[in-house]
Amino acid sequence: MSTVTSASAPAHVAKLSEPRDIGAIVKFVAVLIIALVVISPLFLLFVASLKTDRFEILADMGSFRAFWVSDPSLQNFADIATFSGALPFGRYLVNSLIILFCTVLGGVFLNSMAAFVLAWGRLPGRAVVLTGLIGLYIVPQESIVLPLLSLVNKAGLGDSFAAQILPWMASPLYIFLIYQFFIQVPRDVYDAATVDGASPFRIYWSVFLPLSLPVLATVAILLGIETWNQYLWPLMVTQTDRARPISVGIASFFGHDSVYWNSAMAASVMMMVPVLIFYLAFQKWFVSSFISSAVKG
Amino acid sequence: MSSQASPMPSQASPGSGRAAYRRKPLIWGGKLQELGMLLPACILITIFLLVPFLSSFEIALTNQRLIPRPVPVRFVGLDNFTRILTDPGFWTALWNVTRFTIMVLPVQCGFALAIALLLNQKLPYRNFFRGLFFLPAITSMVVVCVIWSTLFQYPTGPFNQIVGFLSFGLVGPIDWLGDPNWAMPSIVLLSAWQAYGFQMIVYLAGLQNIPETLYEAAELDGANRWQRFWHVTMPSLRQTHIFVLIITTIQAFKLFTQVNILTQGGPRGTTDTLVHYMFTAGFVDQRLGLASAVAILLFLIVLVVSLVQRFVVRDRR
Repeated sequence: MSTVTSASAPAHVAKLSEPRDIGAIVKFVAVLIIALVVISPLFLLFVASLKTDRFEILADMGSFRAFWVSDPSLQNFADIATFSGALPFGRYLVNSLIILFCTVLGGVFLNSMAAFVLAWGRLPGRAVVLTGLIGLYIVPQESIVLPLLSLVNKAGLGDSFAAQILPWMASPLYIFLIYQFFIQVPRDVYDAATVDGASPFRIYWSVFLPLSLPVLATVAILLGIETWNQYLWPLMVTQTDRARPISVGIASFFGHDSVYWNSAMAASVMMMVPVLIFYLAFQKWFVSSFISSAVKG
Repeated sequence: MSSQASPMPSQASPGSGRAAYRRKPLIWGGKLQELGMLLPACILITIFLLVPFLSSFEIALTNQRLIPRPVPVRFVGLDNFTRILTDPGFWTALWNVTRFTIMVLPVQCGFALAIALLLNQKLPYRNFFRGLFFLPAITSMVVVCVIWSTLFQYPTGPFNQIVGFLSFGLVGPIDWLGDPNWAMPSIVLLSAWQAYGFQMIVYLAGLQNIPETLYEAAELDGANRWQRFWHVTMPSLRQTHIFVLIITTIQAFKLFTQVNILTQGGPRGTTDTLVHYMFTAGFVDQRLGLASAVAILLFLIVLVVSLVQRFVVRDRR
């Protein structure tokens, strides 16, 4: 639009461009201010985690000192990093990372394998399995956790890593997401591989997996965020510090008479850092992942 | 490896002979392998999703405890359901979660749409801003609770300072999470802040699908910015609105984490929710049968909302 005007009436544009630039700058600054205000709680968290006095943290929150730390210290992080103490946050963080790693790795592998068979396999009854999975997708996690807890306890898996990894690895939603990607692969790709006499697993492993990195990344990101932020289930299934994840560890700060805000802030930052690192590295993928999970509904 | 093992293909009937030779063992072996690839996921889903789901219907008809007692489990028919439906605490929880949904829908979706509109313009560093605004959505609810409980702090927290400043000190400090009138609105605000990012990117995707020509036509007709928003943008987003409303409603009905951490359903039961009620009945009080009945009711609510979505969306297409 602007090119048309500049071609027809350059003098006119010269006059117009100035208020326009100012308008653009004003708009930019406005968006920047809104963004900073909206995000400020996260900034406050990082600032507060560098203050060692828990009373100072509370006192500062009500003023502009909340945005500033005069003598930054990593002492809070050093305190919570030890494996001892009332709440061994180092341990919780390691537990969370173990659960995350196993769930995402296993989940991507198992779900994509099943999706491949459902999309391209020759097994009879695939349509039935697929329909069943879509039906199960509607069942919310919240409405099965209590029977599941009783089941897990009976199997002697209570308070274990397995109880936090196995139930959430395979998921109808992620099988369906990958399935939808796989069925869009042209038939020729599959045929070319079968003519070479490759076995189903070989076709999956060396032809379809390399093709489907975008959807695998989507599943890894969604499953990763979901696993990292699990709360209700680990709250019920973990009884000791052995396999307790960091989300439940941080929550146990509350309910005491005095909250150790300095430790709570540092632990919260520790919980955010892994997500932030991945987010900064794969920002575009994160956003598109959440969109593709939405489109499925 | 497979290609080296093939017997000379240039004999009598090359193509078919070769295929017949290797297809036969492969079909069998192939199907077995396919079964091996499909089963692990299906077994896990059966054990950890299908079985608990089906057994919840059975458990709901008994007086089973979470940790079994020496007395045998008794079949109690629909007792658990009648007990729930006659418990005022259950109706309070259901009303609270409905109230939460009604409040969080306009706040969260409205804010998400506003930010999406802001980001849908020509703007330098647009992707950077989108990433910034999306940050709360990937922040764990537990972490959000840690930060926001200091923001809500009584009496000197930032929210109280802002309210005091804007009202020239007339409105006294409010105990946001401790006052029965303010606890739920505070939970609404915190929840909307944590989750709006998802609705924002869905709206952003919806906005980008609106053809530019519609706006040009409206502009030719002399529509101003406001009119273009109400008569072009909003009608074009119809599908997106429906989708966003349904997803947000389902999420809202599952409200638990922030309530469990910040208020434990209090003060005076004003933030007790369905899932929190179920958690208390089943985990704290160990009454598995009763909790399973609540779980079934929760499932039915989610099911109805999802079915409404199916029908509404189908109608439009």
